[in-house]
Amino acid sequence: MAFLKQTAWLLRKDLLLELRRRESLLAMFFFGVLLLFIFNFALDIERTKATEMAPGLLWLAVVFCGTLGMMQLFQPERENRCLEALLISPIDRATIFLSKSCFNLLLMALVELVVFPLYWILFGVTAWDRLPLVFLYGLLGTVGFCVLGTLFSALTLSARGREILLPLLILPLIIPVVLATIRGMDAILRNAEFAESLPWLNMLIAFDVIFLTAGILVFEWVVES
Amino acid sequence: MHLEIRRLSKSYGFAWALREIDLELRSGECVALLGPNGAGKTTLIKTLAGIIRPTAGEILIDGARFTGQTARRLPRIGLLAPGDHLYEKLTAEENLRLFLALYGSEKRAAIGDALAQVGLQDWGREYVSAFSSGMKCRLSIAKWQLLDPGLLLVDEPYGVLDGGGVDLLEAYLTRVCRSGGLVVMATHHVARAAALCSRAVILKRGRVCFDEVKRSSWDSFFSAVGDFVPRGEAWPS
Repeated sequence: MAFLKQTAWLLRKDLLLELRRRESLLAMFFFGVLLLFIFNFALDIERTKATEMAPGLLWLAVVFCGTLGMMQLFQPERENRCLEALLISPIDRATIFLSKSCFNLLLMALVELVVFPLYWILFGVTAWDRLPLVFLYGLLGTVGFCVLGTLFSALTLSARGREILLPLLILPLIIPVVLATIRGMDAILRNAEFAESLPWLNMLIAFDVIFLTAGILVFEWVVES
Repeated sequence: MHLEIRRLSKSYGFAWALREIDLELRSGECVALLGPNGAGKTTLIKTLAGIIRPTAGEILIDGARFTGQTARRLPRIGLLAPGDHLYEKLTAEENLRLFLALYGSEKRAAIGDALAQVGLQDWGREYVSAFSSGMKCRLSIAKWQLLDPGLLLVDEPYGVLDGGGVDLLEAYLTRVCRSGGLVVMATHHVARAAALCSRAVILKRGRVCFDEVKRSSWDSFFSAVGDFVPRGEAWPS
């Protein structure tokens, strides 16, 4: 119970700080929207093709926005050495990891809530009935991305050139998540049988669970190093 | 509280910040940690806080091996570092509430009193980003007053405080020691350390070169300090 309470307090703190600093969400939001407009201008896609390309293009936008957010994730803890204050407090360090992952997930979910429908509008995709399912599927992928991103964001906290290092570390590792999400979304958009997307769904859930468990277990050592 | 440091070493790459430190500290002591720049004072303070993992050796608190991971199961450890450890875009009250919640303390009603004691009664709803360094240090004192640590580590507190702030800090440190706590304070201020502390430890290049309990005539201490602190303002007249 204390674990959950402490996680909730840390999450509340991050939300309050974001509300006041408005650094991550606004940047992620504008970057996502900008990317979609650039895709729209640069790629002359037919409507039928737009549906086919939606998973890939949407995830490209999600990954870029997410990486941008992850660079700012521990910024409040870097100022005034607040991470030290958390490390000496008698909390389980996994609470820091969980709260940051949840915060990251919330921001990305908000960005996806805007970016996904915007893609439908900009590219004239007509399958509006499948948008909620695509969003839910994307959210599952976002969990894995956020969990892994939080871990590496903490790992590169005091590294020189972390802005370059962070994407270089995260992007290769999230390939399974991206692959499973794109294939799953594709099956949904093609209105394929549920059985076709099931293996990708299982793979996605497995990766989420593995990354989350690994993150909880190793975060303590990651922040100390 | 009984704090034992056994053959504690810490290296950063090939450079040794601490080398085979052996110390035994007990409740009620106020220990001044002195030494020239690069002596290893801050590294020792942060290792004791569990922020830095030692390269070799161990720390025992009341007989139990202490690492950063065990911190949550041991008596509270406080680290008072002026200007640090406060969220800029939270108000003073929000900062205190957050840390009270993380420490599982029920003293939320005492926040107003704690702020008043450090002279920040009118600043509770202001963001910490609007505070001067001295005010942040006062807020840190209020924070640790509320959290009531058994071991309080203090890292160079005098640089940012005005006269009133120094009196406030010293009164608080004295209270911690009298109530059975242990204070370890890294400082360059020889006169303050000599007046306040009951014991002095001097580090040089990561090794303990002086460790003595205060005496009425403390010539050995002033002689040891004289090697690296030129006589001046920081010395007693």
